Amino acid sequence: MANKRTKSKANSNGNRPRNGVRAITAHGAADAIVRRAGSPKRTGEGVRPSAANTDLRTYSIPDYRLEHPNFTVHQSVEKDKAGAEHVHYEVEGDLDAPVPPIRDSKYLSKQQAIEIYRYMLLNRKMETALENLYKQGKVVGGVYFGLGQEACSCASAYALDKDDWFAPMIRNQGSLLVRGFRASDTMMQYMAKAGSPTKGRDGTSHFGDIEKRNMVSPISMLGDLIPVMSGVALGARLQGRNIAVMTWIGDGGQSTGVTYEGINFAAVQNLGLVLVIESNEWAYSTPSEMQYRCKDLAERAIGYGIPGVIIDGTDACQVYDAAYEAVERAHRGEGPTMIEAKMMRMKGHAIHDAAAYVPKALFDFWKKRDPIARFENYLVREKKWLTGQENGELISEVERVIEEEREIAVNSPMPTPESAEGGVSCEDGCHVIKPKYGMPKVKKGTSRYKETEAAVHLK
Amino acid sequence: MQLTYLEAIRQGIWEEMEHDPTVFCLGEDIGIYGGAFKVTDGFIDRFGPERVIDTPIAESAIVGAAFGASLTGMRPVAEFQFMDFIPCAMNQISNMVAKTHYLWGAPAPLVLRGPSGGYVHGGPFHSQNPEMWFVHNPGLKVICPATPYDAKGLIKAAIRDNNPCLFFEHKYLYRRIKGEVPAEDYVVPIGKARIAREGRDLSVITYAAMVHSALEAADMLAKESIDVEVLDLRTVSPLDREAIAQTVKKTNRVIILHEHSRTGGLAGEIAAIINEEVFDDLDGPIVRITGLDSAIPFSPPQEEHYLPKVSDIVREARRLKAY
Repeated sequence: MANKRTKSKANSNGNRPRNGVRAITAHGAADAIVRRAGSPKRTGEGVRPSAANTDLRTYSIPDYRLEHPNFTVHQSVEKDKAGAEHVHYEVEGDLDAPVPPIRDSKYLSKQQAIEIYRYMLLNRKMETALENLYKQGKVVGGVYFGLGQEACSCASAYALDKDDWFAPMIRNQGSLLVRGFRASDTMMQYMAKAGSPTKGRDGTSHFGDIEKRNMVSPISMLGDLIPVMSGVALGARLQGRNIAVMTWIGDGGQSTGVTYEGINFAAVQNLGLVLVIESNEWAYSTPSEMQYRCKDLAERAIGYGIPGVIIDGTDACQVYDAAYEAVERAHRGEGPTMIEAKMMRMKGHAIHDAAAYVPKALFDFWKKRDPIARFENYLVREKKWLTGQENGELISEVERVIEEEREIAVNSPMPTPESAEGGVSCEDGCHVIKPKYGMPKVKKGTSRYKETEAAVHLK
Repeated sequence: MQLTYLEAIRQGIWEEMEHDPTVFCLGEDIGIYGGAFKVTDGFIDRFGPERVIDTPIAESAIVGAAFGASLTGMRPVAEFQFMDFIPCAMNQISNMVAKTHYLWGAPAPLVLRGPSGGYVHGGPFHSQNPEMWFVHNPGLKVICPATPYDAKGLIKAAIRDNNPCLFFEHKYLYRRIKGEVPAEDYVVPIGKARIAREGRDLSVITYAAMVHSALEAADMLAKESIDVEVLDLRTVSPLDREAIAQTVKKTNRVIILHEHSRTGGLAGEIAAIINEEVFDDLDGPIVRITGLDSAIPFSPPQEEHYLPKVSDIVREARRLKAY
């Protein structure tokens, strides 16, 4: 047991225990994501019930995980040999728990499961290639990784239909591959090449495509995509379509005010937002204990009045099933869903960050839960959907693809200096604006235009 | 027909909603209540709650949702209850909306509109002119009409434009001025100034409510045989550089007039344009008449002191004419 007793730093926010009781494991609760018990019983027209607790609302958040990692990270003070005090992070809890099995999907076919696995491999090997390109000095700026989060990025995006929209955050580069972008697109972005989707104007996975792949470009500020994606769903609904709009946010990013505004807007407008909260333990160097107080971020769904669900973000089947159900709800016009995926960011914030602040025991715990190794074991040894040889061939094919993509990216020229100019505005017919899903069918009321006679607000 | 400034805006949006099913409105209290100033009064009865959406008090969500909808080919018109609240959505406007076309080539045909401006004793949070924050933000068009004719023609042009347009309605003008507005459909081009009054001796370059102050001053100065030209910019981004150069070439003397604070204000930018375009034509210093470098105060005597007055324009014009 790595159950460490440490001296706590008294005023550290990181020492606060999470409130509430342990989440209820509700394996059978898939169809009743938010449960309301004891809703007011009317004893007569307009008469409020007098019995105690009839207005008490209880909720549960379904938790599909097959294990519930139980540890906390907090700050502690240690003295060095010279007696000087140093603050660092300690992890406390059960870090020796065995790795749980993959939960069988209710929806995935063998072929689909293998396809998701292939995307996860592509995701990882693309990022490995990027790391090498960085070491060769070919990348401008840093590289961001989704190591340990490939299941969360790929299996969630895989649940979207063609007409749905998505907006990835920096650790969701895998979702771009699932939605049909090439690895070279992202690689060229990192190398600031003329052939990149933004023609060198922005880096990383900051690009979009409103024509074919229905992707909104992320910006570096966190949470702003949430109202934007809600607006995409609103636009589609005005055109007669209930679509799903998926975006992701970290346990750090969800601290922003615009996150609240965006989810609340989707909730009151009943828009098909599928928000995947990537609880990956660390927001740059700040542990989740210092980002929020509640036990699980999915609990916040209760406050928005929308369904929330907790999944193991390293289990591709759980990710897909939760995303699929959320996407289906969106298509039925039933509104937003919050999915909290628990996992761990297995590298630093970006390539420059060695993540020395992360207790090693935490890396060790999650390394055993590597999403690709787990899924590979599931497909090859448990389900026997892939033979060892087929798996080897698949991995070789992915490596070959990534090498080809790398070549394309490396050989793309740098943009000319003058290409910094122009394109600030949409002028001279560079775009024709037309409703994506067809002209809205409008119903007009019978009232006619007449001049307003209202009073002046300020005199 | 004679319409108030407010009615002209209202009619412009109404007509666009009648003609184009992709146009819809969203904002706080714009539905059954009709908006704090009643610009969308009666819209919900005609166009329904689907196209006239009351939102939570969440400016970032309003702008974000308008932007998202615009990406699907809609033309949202989002209301700020007061433009003073626009910084609540600053990141959405500055980092999300404004950069979109330049960075990844997506057009964002949306309008962010609302009341701005002083002279109504609204205090520091209901009287501001925050347009300069957006002038210094490539990718946005910033429109500040002064007359009912322009207000209607420009709101229609903004709704039809393929770019994000910020439309600053001057609340002092809402119900204080009336003007002739044609019954037939028309637009006023964005980015084009107009000569509000022809003159030979000096030019006042201004926009929005200050156009009316400049015209009033010009009438007074005419009695002293000082012939003032008033250039109404109508759009402050993009600026009509040619019109600015032309009026300076004609009168050789220029006053730049605006309500917002002096430092980093529009007058500095216009002075730089004059410097670049027509420096040799100047017969005197470029004069600025602006608000003070402070928040806009609440109490009427203080607000009056803060904001430019007709008497300021008259005084500065006499001084410049004699230069």
